[in-house]
Amino acid sequence: MARHAVILAGGQCKWGVREAHLVDLFQEAAKACFDDIPTLKPKDVDGLIVASSYAGRCSFQVNTAPVIAERVGVKPTSICTRVDVLCAGGSTGIILAKGLVESGVADIVMVSGGEKLYTPQKWEVFYSELASVDHDWDGTNGMGLPPPFFSLTAQEHMMHYGSTKEQLAAVSVANYNYAATNPVAQMQKTLTLEEAMNAPSVVPPLTLYDCCPITDGAAVCIITTDEIAKKFSDRPLVYIRGTAQVCLNSVSANFPGAHLADWKHTKMAGEKAYKAAKVSPGDIKVAQTHDCFSISEVIEVEEFGFCKKGEGGEFCGSKQIELGGKVPVNTDGGLLACGHPFGATGIRQGIEMLKQLQGRARHQVNGADIGLTHNLSGANAEHTVLIYGREPVK
Amino acid sequence: MAVLGIPILENLYPSTMDMWPLEAKEFNRNWQFYENLKQGKLTTTKCKDCGLVSWPPRVICPECYSENLEYTDLPNKGKIIVFSEEVRGVPLGFESPLIHAVIDLGVAPARRVLSRIVNCPAGVLKRGDEVQLAVFPVPALPIDKGKLGTVMSERVFFAFEPVKK
Ligand SMILES: [Zn+2]
Repeated sequence: MARHAVILAGGQCKWGVREAHLVDLFQEAAKACFDDIPTLKPKDVDGLIVASSYAGRCSFQVNTAPVIAERVGVKPTSICTRVDVLCAGGSTGIILAKGLVESGVADIVMVSGGEKLYTPQKWEVFYSELASVDHDWDGTNGMGLPPPFFSLTAQEHMMHYGSTKEQLAAVSVANYNYAATNPVAQMQKTLTLEEAMNAPSVVPPLTLYDCCPITDGAAVCIITTDEIAKKFSDRPLVYIRGTAQVCLNSVSANFPGAHLADWKHTKMAGEKAYKAAKVSPGDIKVAQTHDCFSISEVIEVEEFGFCKKGEGGEFCGSKQIELGGKVPVNTDGGLLACGHPFGATGIRQGIEMLKQLQGRARHQVNGADIGLTHNLSGANAEHTVLIYGREPVK
Repeated sequence: MAVLGIPILENLYPSTMDMWPLEAKEFNRNWQFYENLKQGKLTTTKCKDCGLVSWPPRVICPECYSENLEYTDLPNKGKIIVFSEEVRGVPLGFESPLIHAVIDLGVAPARRVLSRIVNCPAGVLKRGDEVQLAVFPVPALPIDKGKLGTVMSERVFFAFEPVKK
């Protein structure tokens, strides 16, 4: 009988500026995950995937997986490894775990992700960001911190499609308001359009609330098969129906679109994941897309087919991403308000999708049965898409 | 000079904290690119077998996997397609204003090169402005040569600057 991968449970620690070590954050998130499924014990886990990109630079720790395994009390026998795909690490861990449990290599995989980015002196994380782009060719131009790159992206979207600053601000407002009551989000406050429009400048046209913050945090989820999941939980099963990960360029070199607001790689990742999941854009009831910047979400809703190319600004500005809209997006607050500890973000998205499809989300989308999660990683160098559903692909 | 909090690093060079490329021949097979820059030339690699010009330069042709590559000149002048200006919060290693631009050098694969604009105050640049190559020195690379001691290997890097009208 075919084995179908499901996400069984998940949890995250409080995200933000944390007075804690990287391995402390992973322990807190593991506890939150097991609290979500009291019938499952650490001894039941046979695989561990750790997603972290800055462990090496900000925590002086490579070969991170054995350290995390020991601290969270799991003893892997099928897989124990780390993945480094920056912002897509957590989603990549889920994709790999799906393959491992469906192939029978593993049965119950803990996918964890986390970063400790606030070092004793703040300059260090900003400086270390020179390592997250092509060091010799983009870092040398000061592209380590992404606001300039996304300023160029926003300007080209405005030039080619006529989107407005107010439409960008609408994304920030929606996502902050989703996170206002999220106890583990970094930013827990409501935001008005007026506040967003009058915020301090970062790199024009981007202002404070257009940019996600720097975040310490971790998240953990459990990936297993539907048959195994039934032994531990009576909740509705949430399947990982289809996935894709597309890389066509390295940061600035050989960008695949006609301009920086034309994300061909995003579209390709979406189309491939839709095909694998046997769904179409119209089936997506809820989405968690990679809102590292407000402009990102505007372009993503276009490339995933929630609206026509070029109409993302209008889509986001007319409340289509809010509850009651066409496709509610980033219903837990997204990167903008939850924060973005790179390796943990895809797991945070998976956990929110688990809750949405089980009908227990804080901002529940009525009738949510199919959902999409997405990460952009690096300065637009790679796109990762997962489609979750209440039924397996038949 | 001591490193605060890490006295054992006194007079040592941590290459893992170096923001500039390890350009020296001992550490980089594309060292010729930087030598060409020192002559004021912006170059990249061209495949002598299939003809593909790549950016940035490399040691294997990504199209036909030939190792038979040569350096070819890229134009030193181009036009700004779009640019951004960061005035406050500029990261360590860069000065305000930190200006980035997508530049059209007029030939493939350099129709949309993402680079930096230097020698230019904030608020004066316009889309369509002409810019030219600007080569500048960056700190020399200290290479441990054993008994010969530490040799300082000179380095340069490049950006673009407005063409004076
Ligand atoms: Zn070739």
